[in-house]
Amino acid sequence: MQLDYLATVLLSSLSSASILLIATLGLAVVYGLMGVINLAHGEFLMVGAYSALTATQIGLPYPLAIPFAVAMTMLIGAIVELLIIQRLYGRIFDTMLATWGLGMVFNQGAVLLFGTVSPGIGMPQWNFSIGAYSLAVYPIAMIFVAIVMLTFIYVLMTKTVYGMKARASIQEPQMAQAIGIDSTRVNTMTFAIGCGLAGFAGAILLPIIPATPSMGLFFAVKGFLAVVVAGPVALTGTAATALGLGGGASITASYMSSVFGDVFFFLATALLLWLYPMGISSRWRRKL
Amino acid sequence: MKILLSSLGLSTAIALTSSAVSADVTVGAIFDLTGGLNIYGIQQDNALDLAIASVNAAGGVNGEQVEVVGYDAQSELSRYTQFAQTAVLRDGIVAMFAGLTSSSREAIRPIFRSANIPYFYSSLYEGGACDRQTFVTGSSASQQLNVLIEWAVENYGPRIYIMAPDYNFGTISGHWIHEYAEQHGAEVVGEDYLALSVTDYAPTIQQIQSANPDVVVALPVGAAQTGFLEQFAAAGLRENIGVVSTNYGSGNQQVVVSPQAGEGLISAMGYFPSVESEANAAFLEAWEAEYGSDTPVVAGAVDVWNAVHLWAAAANLAGTTDPDAVIAALEGGLSFEAPNGTVTLEPGSHHLRQNIYIASGNAEHGFDIVETFTDSAPTYENEVCNLIENPSLAEHFTPEG
Repeated sequence: MQLDYLATVLLSSLSSASILLIATLGLAVVYGLMGVINLAHGEFLMVGAYSALTATQIGLPYPLAIPFAVAMTMLIGAIVELLIIQRLYGRIFDTMLATWGLGMVFNQGAVLLFGTVSPGIGMPQWNFSIGAYSLAVYPIAMIFVAIVMLTFIYVLMTKTVYGMKARASIQEPQMAQAIGIDSTRVNTMTFAIGCGLAGFAGAILLPIIPATPSMGLFFAVKGFLAVVVAGPVALTGTAATALGLGGGASITASYMSSVFGDVFFFLATALLLWLYPMGISSRWRRKL
Repeated sequence: MKILLSSLGLSTAIALTSSAVSADVTVGAIFDLTGGLNIYGIQQDNALDLAIASVNAAGGVNGEQVEVVGYDAQSELSRYTQFAQTAVLRDGIVAMFAGLTSSSREAIRPIFRSANIPYFYSSLYEGGACDRQTFVTGSSASQQLNVLIEWAVENYGPRIYIMAPDYNFGTISGHWIHEYAEQHGAEVVGEDYLALSVTDYAPTIQQIQSANPDVVVALPVGAAQTGFLEQFAAAGLRENIGVVSTNYGSGNQQVVVSPQAGEGLISAMGYFPSVESEANAAFLEAWEAEYGSDTPVVAGAVDVWNAVHLWAAAANLAGTTDPDAVIAALEGGLSFEAPNGTVTLEPGSHHLRQNIYIASGNAEHGFDIVETFTDSAPTYENEVCNLIENPSLAEHFTPEG
């Protein structure tokens, strides 16, 4: 196989993996730090996409629409945590059911608010060539975005006071409360951050994946599997699974066909869960 | 108590959806008003209501007013069979208008066959559905691809790449693309069939560049696959490679796709809102008065409109809504002045002979019609399906290969 093809495949597979990672990180944070599986994660992504879209429609430039989307989804996330999630701690299946239902409400709400089709904002028409192959700049730039996002969360959770409180509140809730941490409020914040990350993903991916009410479903399955395969060390683990599963699927698709790309993804997932039932990171000595 | 409450809830829901109060003539409708397929379903249902209102305004069917019992299938297959049974057993319908996906059609077709109730399927599809009770008002894949491939080869060149969804609509369309490519001296240089959930098209775009085609036949289904067109354009491939489709626009994808990516995309379908005719102007006026002009009318909506009018014409002709008489009248070579031009129901295949339009996406999220192929016959269906000679046929024909 020619060298230029190999180079484009590697670069765009890295970009595919990054896109999956961007879409999944919020889910990983909420699952890893709160033990809550947020099945409405995809819908928060959708809310982020529509927030950014609405912001650009009322005249805000796209780079400013992204923080707007993050603020919106964090706000909605905080409200959801206060009204629903908080009452269901430790009841993992009830939480799944509640968030699933919430996702349906969001989905239909978006249909009622925005209709079934909304104009997309389009992708910047920049591209570059490697040998005989041409690549769009924007999806490749997502590699950089994913790295920044990962670093941001890592620093937030390990180097800040909030991060320590957040980890303490979920790992040792009673101990945390005993030393004066308001764990309820910290958890609200953590859930809001997870939703904000979903909103960020929806907004930053808007040029690639146009906003539609059902767009949350596209990432639901693969994102969820990436988090489950990752296991207890949510952040680093998810980065590894997104890179391995998402990137591997993309490489397979490039050399064979999209069907085989999906086959790779699901077979590798099944194999990894068979080898590591608790997730690949179950024996890692990292915390995040 | 909980059980009582939920069963109460269910019966109110049913009472809300069935608005038939003792109507003279009752027809059924099942469309996807919620869930992922509502891009199509809401418009199909709107078109049905509009068509029934127009039939009633013109005096109804044999002097009687027509009522609709409507159901929301929620984009779920199991609902289709459930509601189809209910409509047949409880509501006493004399005709059914339902379905978008081929899987939904195949799921409910046997129910109307055994109940002997005319069933109208109104969407573009892969072709080949054949039984005495089923009438298809959408265009079939071979009907569209026949003209589209010839046009594409003439305008772009003989090297074709296929990008299609990985289920029977995509694969059967793929078969026709191969066949028509051969007929017109072209060659399929590559193909990729994608799951509906794929959002990352980088691998497909690389394979396309590697195969170096003159034209890509892209059949994106669902919201995710619309992203392909955006990513294809952003990679800078539009300059050298044409993109043609038989379903781009069927779910108003041209509204979602940005003008940079959408301008110049070619689509071949049975209807575009920009069709110029008196019937279309009148139809659009009625539509906009009822539903506004925010969302362009899709081909599937016009297919439903045509189905209702063909059924009403047949029932009036027969002088009764009795299924056998209506089916006989439908098989009499009925014609209708539709928004998309004159349509004629083929007696043998129960498919429509209709115009196929080739249109090009413009910068305003709309289409400009490039060429009109009038009175295009459903050749394949006419060939394999003759319900006049063989009324007991109940098949879903697929081309060999």
